[in-house]
Amino acid sequence: VNNGGEKCIDPLQRAAILQIDLHNQSHPEVEDGELATVCYRPEGLDSLVQKTSFSKKELQVLYRGFKNECPSGIVNEETFKSIYSQFFPQGDSSMYAHFLFEAFDTHNNGSVSFEDFVISLSIILRGSITDKLNWAFNLYDLNKDGCITREEMTDIMNSIYDMMGKYTYPCMRDSAPKEHVDNFFQKMDRNNDGVVTIDEFLETCQKDENIMQSMHMFDNVI
Amino acid sequence: MAAGVAAWLPFARAAAIGWMPVASTPMPTPPQDKRKAQDGLIILNVSGTKFQTWRTTLERYPDTLLGSTERDFFFHEETNEYFFDRDPDIFRHILNFYRTGKLHYPRQECISAYDEELAFFGIIPEIIGDCCYEEYKDRRRENAERLQDDEEMDMNNDVTPVNLTFREYLWRAFENPHTSTLALVFYYVTGFFIAISVMANVVETVPCGTLPNRSKEISCGDRYALAFFCLDTACVMIFTVEYLLRLIAAPSRYKFMKSVMSVIDVVAIMPYYIGLVMTDNDQVSGAFVTLRVFRVFRIFKFSRHSAGLRILGYTLKSCASELGFLLFSLTMAIIIFATVMFYAEKGSSASKFTSIPAAFWYTIVTMTTLGYGDMVPKTIVGKVFGSICSLSGVLVIALPVPVIVSNFSRIYHQSQRAEKRRAQRKTRLARIRAAKIRGTNAYMRYKQNGLLIDSLEEEAGQALVGKAATPPFESQHHHLLHCLEKTTNHEFVDEQTFQANCMEISVMNKSGSRTSSLSSSPHGLSSCCSRRHRKKSSFSLPSTNNQELSTIQIRERPVANSRSSLNAKLDETVPLKCDEPYITPSMVSLSAPVVTSSDGDSSTTTAYSQSNIVRVSAL
Repeated sequence: VNNGGEKCIDPLQRAAILQIDLHNQSHPEVEDGELATVCYRPEGLDSLVQKTSFSKKELQVLYRGFKNECPSGIVNEETFKSIYSQFFPQGDSSMYAHFLFEAFDTHNNGSVSFEDFVISLSIILRGSITDKLNWAFNLYDLNKDGCITREEMTDIMNSIYDMMGKYTYPCMRDSAPKEHVDNFFQKMDRNNDGVVTIDEFLETCQKDENIMQSMHMFDNVI
Repeated sequence: MAAGVAAWLPFARAAAIGWMPVASTPMPTPPQDKRKAQDGLIILNVSGTKFQTWRTTLERYPDTLLGSTERDFFFHEETNEYFFDRDPDIFRHILNFYRTGKLHYPRQECISAYDEELAFFGIIPEIIGDCCYEEYKDRRRENAERLQDDEEMDMNNDVTPVNLTFREYLWRAFENPHTSTLALVFYYVTGFFIAISVMANVVETVPCGTLPNRSKEISCGDRYALAFFCLDTACVMIFTVEYLLRLIAAPSRYKFMKSVMSVIDVVAIMPYYIGLVMTDNDQVSGAFVTLRVFRVFRIFKFSRHSAGLRILGYTLKSCASELGFLLFSLTMAIIIFATVMFYAEKGSSASKFTSIPAAFWYTIVTMTTLGYGDMVPKTIVGKVFGSICSLSGVLVIALPVPVIVSNFSRIYHQSQRAEKRRAQRKTRLARIRAAKIRGTNAYMRYKQNGLLIDSLEEEAGQALVGKAATPPFESQHHHLLHCLEKTTNHEFVDEQTFQANCMEISVMNKSGSRTSSLSSSPHGLSSCCSRRHRKKSSFSLPSTNNQELSTIQIRERPVANSRSSLNAKLDETVPLKCDEPYITPSMVSLSAPVVTSSDGDSSTTTAYSQSNIVRVSAL
């Protein structure tokens, strides 16, 4: 029973989750394995089709893959990191996965449900160019205050470079990410105030041919 | 990579959108999906049992029968399904492998039947999951041993091969007396002479009647000195000849000379020769008498003739630590009680407890419940402590003995299992590493193929394109990695190329001059590169050391626990020797190989080879 797109857990499950929560409060050493027995079910297929721009078949494929790796129906950060790290065996992708997780976890409750997952994917893959750029900006803006500072960008850049690992050509210098950040700010920061706001970001990206083209590259992924 | 996450590849590719705004170079084009993934159900009929799965599930592993076009050979037109005339029970596990990415080994199945099914469906057994891998390997090894035993029995019944050299023939005759009659005769003759020699040694000390003009009895050895000497000479001749023949025939003389049996042989015959060389001097006659004692070691030569003796010797050797512990605790108890008895009996007159070492004898005799009675306490305090001593003796001696006996079998099996596990762990880590390297190598090949195809396209048009048979998942994954390369303007390389590059750059910078672009980084390219490399390797040094330390400790822990439980029963004040002091000597030598090579395998092999030393020396 769901109404108006609210993420609705059915009453039995809510009771079960509350039970576990109480249990957790009294016995804080209860492991995550206890929570895994709680199964979280997403909304119906039809409402998801309405909310996202995926077809029924695509949602089915996505859900099957999602459920395979996360039988409990929700992804926590550890699982997220371990899944993502399997695609980048040479480097350390945990930091970037952490930032991704923050971006996917729109409700800030430490877990990503299938709806969050699919809604974010819908924006990235089927959204307008402005939506995509907004999502990317949201990813970079770590504290979600509407502007990207140099520190945030440095963190992001370090996490991306960490994914490359040690064995690269040319040798990875410690200053490489910093130089890249400098380039980025030089390009994006129009008024030279040390931060990149959403408008500056959108404006610069829309003027750049390469970025525009690469934004459309993954449209046919599903 | 587990196929289960193949379904998450679209997500990983979508997440790559985060790199796009920061990339400064254009991205490579994504691979085209020639055919849209028609995800239909496939029916697999295995001897009547129907299994169904998605087509894409099977195609996750394109180098197996079910995942490739090979399955078309089994397509049954009339019923529109794939029919396999194989065992459905084992097929269940094989299909689960496609679904979950983990291959399990069912314990109730026969190992050879399982192997056959795996071979039929083109699945290599190395990918069996960790949960079932040890069991699988154990069963496989048992099976192989059984086959090997069968072969060996067949071989032994064969006629001896003709083309052995004389040396090999001789060695074979010595090691396996049943091969020829001559060897058997030699075997029995030496056995006989060992017995004769030992009996002669015994008999020559028996008193043999008196000489007519002397009142004292003399031993047989002195009376029939010449006869015994001849007998001794004959035996020693035989033994020497045997030893020399073995030495000549041994395939590795150095190894033979180090072996226990050869040492026993030498000790058995040396006293005779030393006796020949030495003159009948008073000063050395004492030493000469001592030497004769060593002749009794000839009895150990029987261990070549008796398998039981060998097994006993091996058992004692493997439980040397247990026995050593027993001895150690006994020694402590003896010292304690001897001290107490000495001070307790100090007061009494004409006490036999003249010193603490003199009291040792009393303590030992009492604790082992022998009680000769040549030394008894006279004071009341002495008697009290004497009774405590005998009671604790019962505990100290009687209790650990069955524990030691059961420890024998338990420790023996435990060490077998631990070594198995260690060997498998090494292989398991190697497998994981190999899988990683395979992934990166596949990516390198993809890039080379990509460049090749590009160049071919320019030359010969579109006709040659489309030959690359990489599955869509692989090509998409490689495209993703390629995008990351373009974003960061660095390329993935493998370890060897990286090392070579670093070496080149450091050499180049030593001779060349710095360019202006390098001046921005404070330390220059060479030191940066090597610094990062060294930094990383210095980080890896303690970590691999820790890993080795933990593997050694983990292996030692179960054994140490058994001893600590023994400890707790016996005496609370007995401090158990820590593992650390025994590990440091091996660690010192371990650190050397780890620094020079960053290869994980070599450091683990050194740990493995050192491990035997650690095991024996730990307590």
